[in-house]
Amino acid sequence: SPRTSPIPRPLYLSRPFVEAALVKGNFKTIVMLPKYVDIMEWVAMNIFDFYTNLNEFYGVIAECCTQQSCPTMMAGPTLSYTWINQERKNVHLPAPTYIDYVMTWIQNLLNDEATFPTKSGHDFPQTFPSTVKHVYRQMLRVFAHVYHAHFHQLLHLRSEPHFNSLFAHFLAFGREYELLDMKDVKGSSSAPVGIGQLYDRWREMGILEG
Amino acid sequence: QANNGKPDDYVYFDRNLKEFSEGAMPKAQSAQLKLEHYYKIAVDSAVERNTRRVELERRLQNESMMSEERKNRQLQQLGKKESNFLRLKRTKLGLDDFRTVKVIGKGAFGEVRLVQKIDTGKIYAMKLLKKDEMLKKDQLAHVRAERDVLAESDSPWVVQLFYSFQDSAHLYLIMEFLPGGDLMTMLIKYDTFSEDVTRFYIAECVLAIEAVHNLGFIHRDIKPDNILIDKDGHIKLSDFGLSTGFHKQHDSSYYQRLLENGGNPPGHGNPSNARNSVMVNSINLTMTNKDQIATWKANRRKLAYSTVGTPDYIAPEIFLQKGYGKACDWWSLGAIMFECLVGYPPFCSENTHETYQKIMQWQNFLAFPDDVHLSREAEDLIRRLITSEDRRLSVEQIKKHYFFYGVDWDTIRRIDAPFVPHLRSITDTSYFPTDELDQTPDYSGADPNAASRDLAFLGYTFKRFPAP
Ligand SMILES: Nc1ncnc2c1ncn2[C@@H]1O[C@H](COP(=O)(O)OP(=O)(O)OP(=O)(O)O)[C@@H](O)[C@H]1O
Repeated sequence: SPRTSPIPRPLYLSRPFVEAALVKGNFKTIVMLPKYVDIMEWVAMNIFDFYTNLNEFYGVIAECCTQQSCPTMMAGPTLSYTWINQERKNVHLPAPTYIDYVMTWIQNLLNDEATFPTKSGHDFPQTFPSTVKHVYRQMLRVFAHVYHAHFHQLLHLRSEPHFNSLFAHFLAFGREYELLDMKDVKGSSSAPVGIGQLYDRWREMGILEG
Repeated sequence: QANNGKPDDYVYFDRNLKEFSEGAMPKAQSAQLKLEHYYKIAVDSAVERNTRRVELERRLQNESMMSEERKNRQLQQLGKKESNFLRLKRTKLGLDDFRTVKVIGKGAFGEVRLVQKIDTGKIYAMKLLKKDEMLKKDQLAHVRAERDVLAESDSPWVVQLFYSFQDSAHLYLIMEFLPGGDLMTMLIKYDTFSEDVTRFYIAECVLAIEAVHNLGFIHRDIKPDNILIDKDGHIKLSDFGLSTGFHKQHDSSYYQRLLENGGNPPGHGNPSNARNSVMVNSINLTMTNKDQIATWKANRRKLAYSTVGTPDYIAPEIFLQKGYGKACDWWSLGAIMFECLVGYPPFCSENTHETYQKIMQWQNFLAFPDDVHLSREAEDLIRRLITSEDRRLSVEQIKKHYFFYGVDWDTIRRIDAPFVPHLRSITDTSYFPTDELDQTPDYSGADPNAASRDLAFLGYTFKRFPAP
């Protein structure tokens, strides 16, 4: 018989957890751009909500994500993200530090009237689409780390249906507005992203569309 | 390997909280609740947005005379409005987005202020409610459901709610400002109204109460303080969804204890036998002695500000806790009508527990004073409202009652009101007793249980889709 892989199947790919969901049905209803509505406003509001909700759940498992438990920002058995520091060098950071940087950076953007305008008369900047892609990519990494390193803790806290739905919604939205690069979702063959497989499973299961 | 008939990717996971801090599970539950709420709102908003669009598209389709270009412009305008609304959802409104002009009212759970939104300059009424006071009562969930629906209503008879937000100590409601004050203030000023003036206010109240009933709600606590006057002198009912059911005196368990205690307020011994004679004495005293009424009037506003509240307008079946229907609001209207014509409510007494006793035995206590002349129609209507639940008139019967002869129910909101406020500016507060109110802002400190408490108020943050 063929040798089985030494790495056990991650819990998030195992049943029943892979199927756990708070939201049943098609995400299209809440992802689709409402007719006549400005796409920038739609994307901006959704990014705002994804950030708020992700922050809430990271806050839940933050006590388990420490310098000791997560000395680097892992998102797969062979994948650890690097942060570009002020000297433009790629550096490895402990996951809590990395995530703190990401979340603070996004929070500041969201509060920045020049990037995410809220007052009447203020328009979105030309750079908005590329900024948002950037934001999306970093949020994806936070999701990827939580799935890779902390999913069992979400299980202990009975939060997997919620977190799964949030992530599936995030993926569906990212696909619809081309905010996600497939190579960020899947990673490379030598360093695959754990959640790349989850993405495929959810497509097979019909949770995500083609 | 076979896994008890389960597929081979099936895993049994032993959930436990061994490795977690004490706060972890509550925090997780809080995140879960918030997400559930988020998805509920996301779906609801999608449906509402769709409804608004389909309605406009259908309307435009029927406009055979309108040019395609104009139709298109209207659709784009809707899109613009929807987009602005999305932007508003991202906007964090807080206390510092509003400037307080003046404190204009006080209620049991906080105060009402005239405020100006700083960026737009628009004027609103802001109601502050103290969370811990509200939490002391247990009807939060029920009351919230009421508020949710009222927040969505566009009825001209209900005060509009535009935004609500919260901090750890307060809930803030930003409502339309009604510059004409309330009916209580007007009654304090004029003492009584003529039958014509009474007919106008009571007729408008009939329509307002009917509107609330049509939304599926029973007010239960209609009183002159909740009847507000708009800039044209027409009435609206204030956002009652939040205020009903909270007052100590309206607290059902309080009344339960009162009932069990032979009508004496809880904690005040029970003087046996003395009960009946005391009550008989009190009729004569209160109903004929002008001084007693004057005392009641002098205390009227204080009563409105106290957490005790006034039971003067509450129907007896509410106290009995055997269930009640819409009819209880028509009783309250009868009591208000009596007050408009006579100068004080029918069961007014020196203290609330006497009032309560009189209401429970209204057959013995409803009396029309000899020195005030009421028309037969007016007295008859009052007697058909302040009566047992099964005999009380229904809304259809009320509208047909001969007291309302000549009232055009369809246009009353558009006719000239008997008193139209004279306003010098959009921030004129001369119809409010601002001198009597403490103008120092009423802030109480945050408290250590703020996080769990906030969860109880999860549904409260609200932003209204702008009216057309
Ligand atoms: N939208 C408004 N515009 C103008 N004045 C208002 C408005 N809302 C309330 N007020 C004033 O503030 C007073 C108190 O408000 P309200 O009665 O709603 O508060 P409350 O005492 O907490 O509620 P309740 O006593 O009905 O339980 C009112 O009698 C009225 O004078």
